[in-house]
Amino acid sequence: MGCRNREFLNEDTSSSSSSSSLSEALIFATLCIIGLPVDVHVKDGSIYTGIFHTACVEEEYGIVLKSARLSKKGKSYSNVANGMVIDTLVILSGDLVQVVANGIQLSADGVAGNLAGDDTEAVVGIVPSEHLVSEAKKSTKSFIHKKKINQTRGAVQAENGFSHGFMPKISERKHEERKSHMNQIGHADGISSTKAEEDSGASDERQAGNDQSQGEKFIYKEKIDFDREESADEVQGSTSSSDTGLTQVKPVEDRHAKMTSQLLPNEASGDPATPLVKLDKPCCERPSSADTSSSDAVSSGLSTSSNPMVDVTSESGVSSLTTSTEMVPPQNPESNRSSKEFKLNPGAKIFSPSLVNPISATPAVPTVASMTYVPNNSHMVPVAASQQEIEYSTYAARPSVPVKYVPYNNLTAGNGVSGSQFSQPIVGHMGSRTQPLRYTGQYNPVQAGPAYMHPNSQAVMVGRLGQLVYVSHDLVQGAAAISPVSARPLLTPHQVQFPKHQGNAASQALPLYVPPPFIASGQQPFAVPSHIPTFQPPFPANRPIPVPGSNSLYNAKLS
Amino acid sequence: MAMDGSSNNNPEEFPVGCLLSIKTSLGDEFDAQLITFDRHSNILVLQEGSKPGPRRNIRLLKANYIKEFTFLGHGEDPLDIKKCQLDLTSLQAREESAIRQAETEAERIGVGVTSEAQNIFDALSKTLPVRWDKTVIVVMKEVRVSSPYLPESVSGGTPAANDRVKKVLDFERKRLQNRGGGQ
Repeated sequence: MGCRNREFLNEDTSSSSSSSSLSEALIFATLCIIGLPVDVHVKDGSIYTGIFHTACVEEEYGIVLKSARLSKKGKSYSNVANGMVIDTLVILSGDLVQVVANGIQLSADGVAGNLAGDDTEAVVGIVPSEHLVSEAKKSTKSFIHKKKINQTRGAVQAENGFSHGFMPKISERKHEERKSHMNQIGHADGISSTKAEEDSGASDERQAGNDQSQGEKFIYKEKIDFDREESADEVQGSTSSSDTGLTQVKPVEDRHAKMTSQLLPNEASGDPATPLVKLDKPCCERPSSADTSSSDAVSSGLSTSSNPMVDVTSESGVSSLTTSTEMVPPQNPESNRSSKEFKLNPGAKIFSPSLVNPISATPAVPTVASMTYVPNNSHMVPVAASQQEIEYSTYAARPSVPVKYVPYNNLTAGNGVSGSQFSQPIVGHMGSRTQPLRYTGQYNPVQAGPAYMHPNSQAVMVGRLGQLVYVSHDLVQGAAAISPVSARPLLTPHQVQFPKHQGNAASQALPLYVPPPFIASGQQPFAVPSHIPTFQPPFPANRPIPVPGSNSLYNAKLS
Repeated sequence: MAMDGSSNNNPEEFPVGCLLSIKTSLGDEFDAQLITFDRHSNILVLQEGSKPGPRRNIRLLKANYIKEFTFLGHGEDPLDIKKCQLDLTSLQAREESAIRQAETEAERIGVGVTSEAQNIFDALSKTLPVRWDKTVIVVMKEVRVSSPYLPESVSGGTPAANDRVKKVLDFERKRLQNRGGGQ
């Protein structure tokens, strides 16, 4: 009578694996509890708790526990002291009474599900949309990770796109396919974001307009994505993870599209400075890349930076922040923060109009705050010296600033600050570049670079490193575009080094950590501006700060 | 249909999926569904709880330790053969992480110390890096706090570190006291 359903299974077992005399179901159950904490009751009444390691499946069913300890003392003598942890405990079949494993899912789903959660995170980068997470918790987690990865991806794509041009299209198509799978909401969001872009673009014809629109779009998209994700999480649960992956992807696409569109307008406008156009591209890239790369944290950071410019951005910042922290509750505090930053930024805005003054640029820098800038700056320094002059020549107004220019572009792009500056009518194309001036100014006097770098690196922490990575790419590209012949040789070596850093940073960066850093980073940078006017004094102050591991490398490069 | 058995002579006669109420010779008592019975090892694989859910308690029970059981009814085969595929590497990964976690937790538990000492250790660990050296709490790798874990029993380390540990210890002891009194 018994076991007839599995009679065939047992036969199969015996034929296929003659070594095992146990039924397949028992072996399966055994496998299901491997690596899980179990209570083992033995003959004398003792209970050992440990991690199920393995079992003997030959004739006798003995088991092995890892990290076991005696949780209930039996009546017979035992050489195991209470509370002592036994690295490996073998319980022979003769002593075994019962193995109890709590909360087990006795099916492949259980194991697969649990593991899937873990795997997903690792794998996501490769195939984000396909993974299903069974557990809500994990889904959120993996979800975050996915974001990261996707963003990184996006950054990479962006880079590729700029460098190669073709890449972005492909990625877009893929994304689109996924989108179709996605909810219609996704499309709606996409549309809305595009609208926002158009509006912004319409209002501001120039690059500034474009930049802003990008920033806005970015924000909007992220917002939307977050909303979607939230809704998805609530409603779908496991499926949400896949959706999030998709949604994330989208932003990247949009960006590419935006980027291209933006670039075109600039060229069409036929601004006097062709070099500027090139610069603009890098700038555009940077903001997008930064957003993508930094994931939630980054997005929030960007939003804050962009806030000065657009009212909307503040909202987006909030949304992004909330999402990063996981859902709604955090929003209020976040919003407050953003508002604070916003206040700070306004000041920046005011300053920004006066491009001529190096100081004005500084405010923007603080907003940027994110660490990413630092690495760029270091790189920038060598380049700037050679390049600055040339570019500046094109711009009549800026002759004094030339050196500054180059570095700034990189920086501004990453921050999205550039957008804010642009918003002010005066700057136009130049606005983004003007900011760079400040940095350069700092760098030039310092040359050492390291001092400056440190502050940023500290503030940024891990999350920022990830950002930095992206930036560095941007810088490289920007440098390539901008730099005449002489500049490049210097840049190339730097570029090579950065990519490595980026990889590490990206992997290390934790989304959760990022949000707090933002605030801190934002504030610190602000402090810096004051220093900026007086170049030398600020540096010493910065030096005291401990330098992260990565800094040492930078310093070496700089020196 | 109830078959009250004072013996476990024929558990294999029950079909897979049947529901049993079991008393073991060690005094455990539970209701469970039979997943399988393995004759060679004389082991019953049971899952507790009657309602289907993703998380169940699994018991592997030697049949000869069943003191008493009651047949409660028939049920479906709880195992879906199509889903019986496991990834060994993921199992290993799960085990590794579990062991790692267990080890880190085990390191936090003092051997042969009072619960008060353990509480102090846990409290200190919130603010300072601590580890056990037998019954001595080692803080920041240099300051040693030995039984009875009073500020006076702090020794070693730089004066600054020593003072710091004393301060924290004093503070944590007061907090523990207040908490104990409050509750």
